[in-house]
Amino acid sequence: MIKLGKKTEAGALQAQTPIKSPSGFSIIWRELVRDKVALISLIFLILIVSFVYGISLILDQDEIVKVDLLSIYQPPNDQFILGTDYGGRDIFGQLIIGTRNSLSIAILVTLMTGIIGIAYGLISGYFGGHIDNMMMRVLDFFNILPFTMIVIAFVAIVPKYSVTTFSLIMTGFLWMGIARLIRSKALQEKELDYIQASKTLGSSNFKIIFTQLLPNCSSLIIVTMTLNLAANIGLESGLSFLGFGFPESTPSLGTLLSYATNPQTLEFRWWIWVPASILILLLMLSINNVGQALKRATDARQRRG
Amino acid sequence: MWKFSVRRTLIMIPQLILLSIIIFVLAQLMPGDALSGQIGPDVDPARLDEIREEMGWNDPWYEQYGRWVGGVVKGDFGDSFRFKMPVSELIGQRIMNTVWLSIVTLILTYLIAIPLGIVSGRYNDTWKDQLVTGYTYVGFATPLFIFALVMLWLFGFKLGWFPTSGSVTPGLVSGTFEHFMSKVYHLILPAFSMALITTYSTIQYLRNEIVDTKQKDFIITARAKGASEKRVYNRHILRNSLLPIAAFFGYEITGLIGGSIFIENIFGFPGMGQLLVESITLRDYSVLTATTLLFGVASIVGALISDIILSIVDPRIRIK
Amino acid sequence: MSYLEVKDLKIHFPIKGGLFSRTVGHIKAVDGVSFSLDKGKTYGLVGESGSGKTTTGRSIIGLNNITSGQVLFDGVDITNIKRAKSDVRKDIQMIFQDPYSSLNPKKRVIDIVSEPLRNFENLTRKEERKRVQELMELVGLSPESILKYPHEFSGGQRQRIGIARAIALKPKLIIADEPVSALDVSVQAQVLNFMKDIQKELDLTYLFISHDLGVIKHMCDQIGIMYKGRYVEEGTADDIFFNPQHIYTKRLVAAIPDIDPNKREEKRKFREEVKAEYEKSYNDYFDEEGLAYKLQPVSDTHLVALPEKG
Repeated sequence: MIKLGKKTEAGALQAQTPIKSPSGFSIIWRELVRDKVALISLIFLILIVSFVYGISLILDQDEIVKVDLLSIYQPPNDQFILGTDYGGRDIFGQLIIGTRNSLSIAILVTLMTGIIGIAYGLISGYFGGHIDNMMMRVLDFFNILPFTMIVIAFVAIVPKYSVTTFSLIMTGFLWMGIARLIRSKALQEKELDYIQASKTLGSSNFKIIFTQLLPNCSSLIIVTMTLNLAANIGLESGLSFLGFGFPESTPSLGTLLSYATNPQTLEFRWWIWVPASILILLLMLSINNVGQALKRATDARQRRG
Repeated sequence: MWKFSVRRTLIMIPQLILLSIIIFVLAQLMPGDALSGQIGPDVDPARLDEIREEMGWNDPWYEQYGRWVGGVVKGDFGDSFRFKMPVSELIGQRIMNTVWLSIVTLILTYLIAIPLGIVSGRYNDTWKDQLVTGYTYVGFATPLFIFALVMLWLFGFKLGWFPTSGSVTPGLVSGTFEHFMSKVYHLILPAFSMALITTYSTIQYLRNEIVDTKQKDFIITARAKGASEKRVYNRHILRNSLLPIAAFFGYEITGLIGGSIFIENIFGFPGMGQLLVESITLRDYSVLTATTLLFGVASIVGALISDIILSIVDPRIRIK
Repeated sequence: MSYLEVKDLKIHFPIKGGLFSRTVGHIKAVDGVSFSLDKGKTYGLVGESGSGKTTTGRSIIGLNNITSGQVLFDGVDITNIKRAKSDVRKDIQMIFQDPYSSLNPKKRVIDIVSEPLRNFENLTRKEERKRVQELMELVGLSPESILKYPHEFSGGQRQRIGIARAIALKPKLIIADEPVSALDVSVQAQVLNFMKDIQKELDLTYLFISHDLGVIKHMCDQIGIMYKGRYVEEGTADDIFFNPQHIYTKRLVAAIPDIDPNKREEKRKFREEVKAEYEKSYNDYFDEEGLAYKLQPVSDTHLVALPEKG
């Protein structure tokens, strides 16, 4: 690791191409590739995401959600690969559009909760003391409330309910987990001398938080956001399943599953809810696999070699 | 310890006040009021306004809030205009079902988690451990409602081993043995479905705790002194690892509430979770406020209990 | 005319307790410390861990809050340096003890060294790069290595990077908090000599904090000995090393290892004598709480904490 003396030509070359820090992305990547399960998960994810977003470009959402009373509850056949629902709508099309919608909102919510949670955690941890104390009390309160209950209650009162308001409500009650993790990391990091040094060098608190502290939380952020993404897919589909997520005109994996609340559908019309269930499971499992592999890669003690 | 308990209890007061204000504001923001459902051609709108005035719905918000809190403290949540009965009575019918569901789920959770966690932690990195870890992995990634749907489909519909809805077979007289057995019978499938999924966190915690404790100096010392493996586990490791888990039950309440909303709706189980969803679809706002308030209070009190028990069991957390 | 003057500095940390975390007492980390530094000289602050020497240094640059007292720099009151004008802040810089944690592991050397430049000087990318390269050369590192990350350097090299960062703004006073304690002995001398070199070159004044009297002897013109937040003795290097008056100082000086193996036995005997004296006369030098008394002058340059006469 230690390099002494004058640089040779190779050294000069090295100086131009950036060299990664020990917890840098190259190591994470190497770990990910070495972990077979995670690698398969990643390939599966890439395939499914490109397939879903690709196909949904040529599919017409309005056409799919149009009611066709002549073809109600058709089992899978040549015309409808995965059959139809009570409105004669194509399940396969709904599955594609639904996966796209579910993924999109999960990504959106993950990013928004990430931004809020990271900022909250960094500020709370960096300043510490009374500010931290107060911010943690607020966080505790949000954390105690049962998520499903409070989201349902909010969804019920929003006058102009749409996908935007839904994602905002979800974000409002999901930022606490990452905030807490980032805060404890920030509490550790801020005691280190490089933060103290920045203070003596005249950097403002704001600058220290976002240019010194934040980069050192990056691996934690990546891991947490990946795991959150999987969780958010589950939460969205759960809420849609109960009827408090996506409106029916916007299919999602959850709205497909909500057809199964009808005992007849659950018992006899598997093609409506089983494919969506399997897709949710596969998506969540593979995202989790990738997330866990990232976690191992960033934690030197757990690294596989 | 006393200091921590008192301080922790004092923190709860603003939490409760904040919760009540949020729910009150939510109730105020809800479209329409209990009378809007009665608007019809034969009802005089002026008469409705009069009623509103009489009921004090035009008073400033803090007076209304004060009245509402005063009522809630006495157990008066107003009337449900859909079910045409006092909300407290309606909740009274449902709440015990949810409480029993939660208790049975909690017991099952521990019954599954403790042996699996111990095996996994004690024989870590063997095939037994990998099996358990694989289970927690899948449990972590599986949404509760999908698992519950599959359980209902398989054991309720395909195999027909368990009832597919309700909390008791209609027509049985309350208090009889058959009535009790019927209740238990209706509880098993929902409670099992929830426990099998939610137990993963407890298993993981127990496993990690045991693996960590195994390498601590005092365990190595105990071994070096010649204590039998059984004694090391029973007297040293398990005592240290199981107590915190027992204390977690308060935190579990938040999760159980979230779970019961799904489970009760999937299994047609008449409890608070189902009531919450019904109250929204029926726009029965007095019921909605009452259920959310009760759920919220239960979670806050649960966290309080767990924090205090944990502070007794594990002095480290008191420092924060 | 003293360059840096510290007057009756007190730094107390509150002890929280009780039901509402109210302050129930104070830890007196620094309790009435006064000293002054001359321009271009090195002042050594010595003491065991917990004696308050690091807290003193950190409070001057604003990393610890000052409870009471006054700090004057070049005649300007900088007691509250965080609110001070930026040119004063530029003039005082710090070198940290741990070269591993004092450099942000996620930043390249160029970003680390140019951090102060970016805060105080408006340079173009090119100028900035040139300055960093000059600084790297000045501290004896290859100017090509500015794109490397800290973990690619050895401890001594990292400390040089820390020094490059500290001198980037051409400061006048540098607070060096145990700058070599984390380094191998072989590298210590290198870094110390290098610090002496740049002191001459850049006309620097050092406040040198260390627990190592050997290092202090090598570096310092004037020395203050701290114990439990108070001064026990202050004087020139000669005063402290050849004429220690306070029993605590005597014991510290006696503990300095001697390289000559022939004197080993002699040295051991001497140490035991001092220890015996220390135990016997402890009560004469410290008050009931085990703290040092106020400083009394014994010569023009030499101050010792002794009970007031009579």
